[in-house]
Amino acid sequence: MPDTRPIPQRPFLGFGLGLRTDHYHSVLEQRPAVDWFEILSENYMVGGGKPLHFLDRIRLDYPMAMHGVSLSIGGTDPLNADYLRELKTLIERVEPQWVSDHLCWTGVKGQNLHDLLPLPYTEAAVRHVAERVRQVQDYLGRQILLENVSSYLTYQSSEMPEWEFLDSVAEQADCLILLDINNIYVSSHNHQFDPLDYLHAVAPQRVMQFHLAGHTHQGNIIVDTHDQPVIDPVWALYAAAVRRFGAVSTMIERDDNIPPLSELLDELEQARRIAAPILKAPAA
Amino acid sequence: MALRTLQEDFQAAVLDDPAHFVAQVVNTATASAECRIDIYAQAYRLRLLEALAGDYTKLAILLGEAQFESLGHSYIAAHPSRHPSLRWLGRHMAAFLAATPPWSGQPLLSEMAAFEWAQGEVFDAPDATALGPAALAAIAPESWPQLRLQAHPSLRRLDLSCNVPAIWQALEDGDEPCERHCGAPTQSWLLWRQNLDIHWRSLSVDERWALDAWRNAASFSELCEGLCEWLEPERVPAHAAGLLKGWVNAGLVTALRSD
Repeated sequence: MPDTRPIPQRPFLGFGLGLRTDHYHSVLEQRPAVDWFEILSENYMVGGGKPLHFLDRIRLDYPMAMHGVSLSIGGTDPLNADYLRELKTLIERVEPQWVSDHLCWTGVKGQNLHDLLPLPYTEAAVRHVAERVRQVQDYLGRQILLENVSSYLTYQSSEMPEWEFLDSVAEQADCLILLDINNIYVSSHNHQFDPLDYLHAVAPQRVMQFHLAGHTHQGNIIVDTHDQPVIDPVWALYAAAVRRFGAVSTMIERDDNIPPLSELLDELEQARRIAAPILKAPAA
Repeated sequence: MALRTLQEDFQAAVLDDPAHFVAQVVNTATASAECRIDIYAQAYRLRLLEALAGDYTKLAILLGEAQFESLGHSYIAAHPSRHPSLRWLGRHMAAFLAATPPWSGQPLLSEMAAFEWAQGEVFDAPDATALGPAALAAIAPESWPQLRLQAHPSLRRLDLSCNVPAIWQALEDGDEPCERHCGAPTQSWLLWRQNLDIHWRSLSVDERWALDAWRNAASFSELCEGLCEWLEPERVPAHAAGLLKGWVNAGLVTALRSD
């Protein structure tokens, strides 16, 4: 059944980039037209030195969101209390607009595979993840955003499509969604579904942020490598997402093969060019 | 299938044994279950190798690509990541190289790893405000004997039997490889951070001793007493004050107290 609840007013930060060490000096010297930066939380869970120095300086001029990769919210080891404590300390330092991680697990038996591993889309997994999200939100004193990951396999045990799983977790946990448009595209290719089915199923009132990124083909599978520019079909999907969800803070992720800042600024302009006419148009 | 079992089987498949996991994954016309699992297994090794190569850039050059990859696989199997951040993955590398054949036969490798890891520790050690030269001038003469210092958290000391810093620098600068030599006696090195940048320099035997004594909370008079091992007693106070001035100027001292 379509979700007909009104979309609440959500903060719209505009168009951002991932903050990367390669660009620290360019950002400070040029004060580029980036509306906000997303930081990788784990990169700043250190004692001091350059990482925190540049973080603090850039934070003075730009709003920030924090994005983590090691919460392992779907994992079956206990939540890592040390990690959560460090995350909270960093939140107090950065005062981010919001804090996100991924709807995934990263390892068991104390090990970290440093990957965003997919969960089986089952009712039991929904309950398991939702309970852990509630614990994290209680500890941090704020709602978190969970991002849909790219995946390369599906489980025999899955009982529902990924979008239903994402929506159910968000609803049961009362958390928000970081919708990665590239990940929808990648997974739609890898698992042969229509990416628009995904977009149209996600509850608009929970979507707080979009990610855009590039990827790489590896045989018949697309791998989410974040080392290439955003491709046209992902831009098209982004346009569809803006039409459905409205003004949602958008950022481009680039984690490898990192180009000069000017190239990413051009890519960010493309996101603005796509979103602007859709956001200006009167609601249908 | 319990979520816990599924995750244990998936992890085993990524690490080396897909036997229990394959049947849990959907086969499709575009890619088999084995192929899909292998994407995760390959990505795991690549990602961790990349992290090690980032921490040990010169060790990687010394070994060459193939040997570094072989080392990386052995290391990852022995010391899988148990930390939320890849920043700490390589922390056992120097000890691993020193204890594991065939690398244990080449002390240069273990020492290069120790040197590179120490640089990483210096890089993002906790911040602390270093004292300026004026702090020394403000000490009352009668307070000097009881004076104790607090070290900047980035300070590290290494004893190396090989000329590791020279080799590291030549590789960093892209210069001709410098002559490598290892053997007794070892040379002590001091590494620290000043104005966000990493520095290092060699230490004389007496400064090495004094630095260790200082970090073990020795007072200035105790430093002077110990330095008599290497110097005539009448020269010791001036020498010790000179060491202290050097440490302050290098940004190594964050507090002075004389209680």
